[in-house]
Amino acid sequence: MAKVKVYSTPTCPWCAKVKEYLKEKKVDYEDLNVAEDDKARKVMIEKSGQMGVPVIEIGETIIVGFDKEAIDKALK
Amino acid sequence: MYDTIIIGAGIAGQTAALYASRKNMKFEILSTNVGGQFLESGEVLNYPGITQTTGAEFSSKMEEQMKFNKVKIIKANVTKIEKMGTNFKVIGAKKTYETRSVIITTGARPRKLGVEGEDRLSNKGLTYCAICDGPLFGGMDVAIVGGGDSALEAVDFMKNVAKKIYLVVRGKLTAHEYLQDNIKKIKNLEIIEGDSKEVLGDKFVSGFKVGTKDGDRDLKVSGVIVEIGRIPNTDAFTDFVKVDEHKHIEIDCTTKASIPGIFAAGDCASGHEYQYVIAAGQGCMAVLKASRYLARKQGE
Repeated sequence: MAKVKVYSTPTCPWCAKVKEYLKEKKVDYEDLNVAEDDKARKVMIEKSGQMGVPVIEIGETIIVGFDKEAIDKALK
Repeated sequence: MYDTIIIGAGIAGQTAALYASRKNMKFEILSTNVGGQFLESGEVLNYPGITQTTGAEFSSKMEEQMKFNKVKIIKANVTKIEKMGTNFKVIGAKKTYETRSVIITTGARPRKLGVEGEDRLSNKGLTYCAICDGPLFGGMDVAIVGGGDSALEAVDFMKNVAKKIYLVVRGKLTAHEYLQDNIKKIKNLEIIEGDSKEVLGDKFVSGFKVGTKDGDRDLKVSGVIVEIGRIPNTDAFTDFVKVDEHKHIEIDCTTKASIPGIFAAGDCASGHEYQYVIAAGQGCMAVLKASRYLARKQGE
């Protein structure tokens, strides 16, 4: 399975929803707190071209926001 | 044929669904997303019976309550309501629902500044959700636009995140007094009275132009947080049901809209007071009145 990363901030409710959804689907993911981790923040901005969270990286796919359909598609 | 179709799944819609379920009504609740605006609220200190919570925590509790009451929210984007005799057709992108009544609880969305650079730099340093994206501006200078509760809550949230905060207000602060008292203690805050003119930046936000009585000021900021109120999500219904000058669905004190069988509750309705407790109360009122309406209709 493709490696999954979630770029998030601790207070962002949609980030919490993404993580809940991945847990529900039993998908392992790496959680990167971009509020504190400057390096991860830079990578996220570079890869997604924007500054909103959550950003979900599934293999080569970058998803901005909590989009269940896009997550499901990328996980297939 | 459904008894009622609830459109929207914020507090008003979920409260209506909770009561509809407990009354064994035949209904569906349709929404483009679950949680509505309250998911993006920060701290909540004014909901009766709950001393302190957050929008996210409250949203999770409501989700739990929906599951407990066997309410399943259907993801659907309603594009239109049509009359069908004394009943209605609720038309979604994928399916049409025939129903005897409709409860509209579609909430509201952030109002935009309407200035140059706003759309281009949205999510590129400009955000409408302080608690989501605010922490990304750690150690940077930011501008927060607005003078109401949400703007001052954003200031409070950002005080330990940003290096300097400019609060750009057009006219006077309108937020609750306790929020106004709170921000007086914040040392890294400068309040600027003026009009938003332009969001500056190439790929990302690098500044914010404000027109003040002393002329234009270019604030060197990396983030712009817009909190200037909300506009109702009623675009799909404005040709169908009567709306006020701000496009809120006009309701009476019992949540009845201009067409018998149509009810509206929460921020999309004409109450103009945007509070969790009001949305919950009106959601409850709407489903109870819809139920009475159906009983009377059946007796006719």
